[in-house]
Amino acid sequence: MQLIRLALKNIRGSGFRSLAIFLAVMSVAAFLVSITLIIAGAQYSLDSGLKRLGADILVVPEGAETKVETALLMGKPTEVWMPRDNLQKVASIPGVEAASPQIFLASMYNSPCCSVSEMFIVVYDPATDFTLSPWLEKNLGRSLALGEVIGGTYIFVPAGSEYVRLYGYDMTLKGNLESTGTGIDQTLFMALDTAQAMEQVSATAAMEEIYINPDDISAIMVRVAPGVDAHRVAIQIGKDVTGVVPIESPKLFGAFRNQMNGLLWGFFAITVIVWAVAMGLIGLVFSMAANERRREMAVLRALGGTRNFIFRSVLSEAILLALSGAVAGIAVAASSLYLFKDLIAGSLKMPFLFPSIPSFIVLFSAIVALAIVTVTLSALIPALRLSRQELAIAMRE
Amino acid sequence: MNRIFGITLIVLALAIAVVPQFTDCYSQGSVLTLASGSTQPMKCHWTAQAEIAVGVPLVGVGAMLALSRRKGTAGSLSIMGIVLGAMAIALPFSLIGTCAAPTHLCNTAMKPALTALGSLAIVASLGAMVVARRAKD
Repeated sequence: MQLIRLALKNIRGSGFRSLAIFLAVMSVAAFLVSITLIIAGAQYSLDSGLKRLGADILVVPEGAETKVETALLMGKPTEVWMPRDNLQKVASIPGVEAASPQIFLASMYNSPCCSVSEMFIVVYDPATDFTLSPWLEKNLGRSLALGEVIGGTYIFVPAGSEYVRLYGYDMTLKGNLESTGTGIDQTLFMALDTAQAMEQVSATAAMEEIYINPDDISAIMVRVAPGVDAHRVAIQIGKDVTGVVPIESPKLFGAFRNQMNGLLWGFFAITVIVWAVAMGLIGLVFSMAANERRREMAVLRALGGTRNFIFRSVLSEAILLALSGAVAGIAVAASSLYLFKDLIAGSLKMPFLFPSIPSFIVLFSAIVALAIVTVTLSALIPALRLSRQELAIAMRE
Repeated sequence: MNRIFGITLIVLALAIAVVPQFTDCYSQGSVLTLASGSTQPMKCHWTAQAEIAVGVPLVGVGAMLALSRRKGTAGSLSIMGIVLGAMAIALPFSLIGTCAAPTHLCNTAMKPALTALGSLAIVASLGAMVVARRAKD
């Protein structure tokens, strides 16, 4: 306790030096937290999106892979088509437990009747669906009726209205899916019968008519049977069905993942360099301080302070500065990221979901520990020098 | 110490008044087009305007805090700072609000910026209050 009190008094006594060390640790910790949270947030968002998608393999028309990935990742409306016959071909492949078609539609951009300016519409088939049905059973206790829809977190009913109106057709929003940080958040899901009703109404009530070809679908969601290798099934789909590309769930958003890994290593290298430079500077500041404090420490020794006490008091000072700097840096970075997460995700054009509390606590502890260890190491040599100095020589100076 | 808190409040107050003018949807050219064909700014624009009415008095509070010598005055001014900081946050959240679409700039930039600036104004005012109380004792 006495040691901490002495360290606190020393910190207060040399305000500028302490502030410089505090700010250095704070800046580096804030930088490290920001980078880690952005990368981890994107990863977490992708994983949540894949979990929401709920399929082992996604079958899309050949050449439309990037379009579909962008639609699912950023919610960019897209229209891709392939013959409905492909569904039967995919479903008959050994190892395929379930196959369900989806139709991708686009809402009118910035339409006053839409709840968000750019909305991705996915039409599913309730008879074969296995991706949304479990959620509906759990939350609604039934499947969607005619005129009912569910949406991502960004889908809402416009103020003053009871319905989501699309193409002149009023639909009831029955619920919102959990946030994923991906394009699924701005996706509206409707059953096939609702989409057909919307198509009929659009002919007379919409500014722009919508047409859904009954012989076309956009994608096929595939679930493989338990114990069957999804990779083999995907290869078989590629061989047996022409004009389609099977994308295995872990490989979805592959280009984005590669880009993110590149960023991760780049930022990691920068962080290591910044951290090393900051720690070198902190070590230098402690060395200069040690030279200035030779007499002060000699007086402390003359008053009965042991070498060990001197050594520990200098290290306590370093640990307190590292701890407070790291905590302040993490707090500033985490709160800024939390507040501006949508702006950052939008500017970087990447999905983002704030990591879960347990993983944030792990990150918090790791960075605090790293700050304490490195700052303590920086102060180790000056602390040793101060504690081992000859009392008489130091007093004479 | 009052001078530091006062100058901090002035900087925060200026940001509270100025930042929304460049981050509301009207500044980005987004307006509502009525059936009559005329255009109307969306409600985030009125929040941005109201923030001027919060920022300007907060500049005054900061200036007076920086110049005040009496501990009692500093205490009262810091209460004003806390109230105005809270108002800066309340305007986009409940008093007027922002656009309904979460992807609009008013929701991604203006609202979080006002939350951060208002919170910092409250923290700075609380700091001034604590310092004023300690000095009294």
